[in-house]
Amino acid sequence: MTKSCWQWLGACLISIALSACGTRPTPAIESYVFGTMVSISLPDQSQTRAQQLANAVNQEFFKLHQQLHAWQSDSELSRLNQAIAAGQSMQVSPLLAHMLRQTQQLSAQSEDIFNPAIGQLIALWGFHRDEFTPVKVEPEQIHRLVKTHPSMAQLHIQDLQVSSSNREVQLDFGGYAKGYALDIAANFLRTQGVRNALINIGGNIIALGQHDQRSWQVGIQHPRQSGTIATIDLPDGWAIGTSGDYQRYFNLDGQRYCHIIDPRTGYPVQTTQSVTVLIPPAESAGVMSDVASKPIFIARDESARLLAAKKMGVDYFLIVDAHGDVLMSRAMQKILHWTQPPSHIKVVDTEAL
Amino acid sequence: MQANQLILHPNHEDHHIARLAAYAILLHVMEAMIPSPLPGVKPGIANIVVLYVLYRDGWKACAWVSLLRVLAGSLVLGSFLTPTFMLSLSGAVSSLLCLGLAQFLPKKYFGPLSLSMLAALAHMAGQLVLVRCWLIPSAGIVYLLPLLMSFALLFGLVNGVITARLLQLASRPKRA
Amino acid sequence: MKTSGAWIRPLSGDYLIFIIALALLGWLFSHYWNWQAATRLQIHQGGQLIATLTLDQQRELSVSGPLGITRIEIDHGRARVHSSPCTNQYCVHQGWLSHAGQASFCLPNRVSIRLMGASSSYDSLNY
Repeated sequence: MTKSCWQWLGACLISIALSACGTRPTPAIESYVFGTMVSISLPDQSQTRAQQLANAVNQEFFKLHQQLHAWQSDSELSRLNQAIAAGQSMQVSPLLAHMLRQTQQLSAQSEDIFNPAIGQLIALWGFHRDEFTPVKVEPEQIHRLVKTHPSMAQLHIQDLQVSSSNREVQLDFGGYAKGYALDIAANFLRTQGVRNALINIGGNIIALGQHDQRSWQVGIQHPRQSGTIATIDLPDGWAIGTSGDYQRYFNLDGQRYCHIIDPRTGYPVQTTQSVTVLIPPAESAGVMSDVASKPIFIARDESARLLAAKKMGVDYFLIVDAHGDVLMSRAMQKILHWTQPPSHIKVVDTEAL
Repeated sequence: MQANQLILHPNHEDHHIARLAAYAILLHVMEAMIPSPLPGVKPGIANIVVLYVLYRDGWKACAWVSLLRVLAGSLVLGSFLTPTFMLSLSGAVSSLLCLGLAQFLPKKYFGPLSLSMLAALAHMAGQLVLVRCWLIPSAGIVYLLPLLMSFALLFGLVNGVITARLLQLASRPKRA
Repeated sequence: MKTSGAWIRPLSGDYLIFIIALALLGWLFSHYWNWQAATRLQIHQGGQLIATLTLDQQRELSVSGPLGITRIEIDHGRARVHSSPCTNQYCVHQGWLSHAGQASFCLPNRVSIRLMGASSSYDSLNY
């Protein structure tokens, strides 16, 4: 009796509060594809047209996702992985062949630090699941996998025929697919005559045109607080991407194990909280926004981080290290507005590197 | 503040406090058995005793009763040193501090109702500060603040009315 | 202390305190309960943000805390704590949340879920 009475009272108060609701904002069209959130803002389009465009984009994403899924055995990528493990070659689709060449080139550019060939390590750490629960790994297993040196360079791509000289290579496009999808979406919308749009795929964003006579405004997630660390204007054609240890991780014995794994050690990176990169307009701006932050994230100290940024050709970067201190490029500093400024900020001139 | 005008033998005050604390503990434990619609929403009827003691025996006695209530209540409920206990303690301490200040408000204008409302709001605020700073920092508990504070005010008011009524009854001339 | 009358009579200061408290509550409600439809879910564990997810999906998640696994369910625009290892089960009893700013906490397991609306200070969030 007492219980139901209390609950009734609680429900009453809540419903009174709810009846004072504000207005519904005009939201971006959001959907869940790619194992992540996809949000598309189309300010100039009518609601039905915007929905049509978003559906078309999402359909593309869905196909891409089916093709690239690393832990569903029927995807094209999984079949290639099975072929590689069996020491066989396989004929792939032109799209996958293109992606393999692109990741191969980027992997070489990063000197194998951006390494989509370490799928086995990622699986070992349990980041192939929809869970945030800890896994206990066997150090010997990691050591054994690291010693096999799986690398993109070991892939042989002859037209559409793909094989690998190392059977331990297992491809995981986790650090690439979202960026590739951004480029696809941006190109698709451009061909449809869309001038102004903002596309957000799991946090990676590309801007087309502008919004309300000003650049699109993007908030950058604070790696430790809820809310943003800073906001930024994203001009036409620019893309932004962040790698963060808060995106996927688990805690075990007081240690944080994030989803970004150093291919040299086989262990999750513990020296960086987040790396945000801004990529100027380019054919693969989306891909670069996804890929270029990884080698910087994996680098352990300041000089290695700066070198990684230089190798990847990144001029705009914001690095939050394990202590919450910030290292950023002068170019980034000029265009960024702090919302929760860190206590230590170091600005470097990238031209001097 | 003057204690009861009774003939006391040395231990009497201790007995007195213990007896009042026992009432408070009883109410505290009874309340813990009532299911609550929202975490943190409780009528806090034990505070009636605390406020009553403040008026009858002064702040020091009231502090004893309140803290004994938290301590013994948690031992009875088996929640000693758990987050529940810490919440209870932080609420009690902040409401005691609030009462310690509020007792100096002019009696002519501010009665038990005022003190009860203030104490209830301080109690809730103390608990929320602990939750925010220790239990789940950076989580959005602030979004529950309006609702929790509304309940605190409501129960503070009700408890204040009851306390005022009890004080009124107690201060009536009785048979000797 | 008033002794006359069968029932207590509030003093002028009591009214004053009540009115001030009501004003405070009014401010709290207007400030914190400015509801919008929620679009995202934030999950915190031990005070740290561990996930931001869209509500536009059907999904179950597991979050581990000191007591064990808290299961969180998202169902097209709403979310709830589905099961929790804590004893009081407040978080589970709180049921479905669907408005921006609403939150559910499991203090013993240090897990919280919070619904977020579209933010006005920027157009999209990079995370």
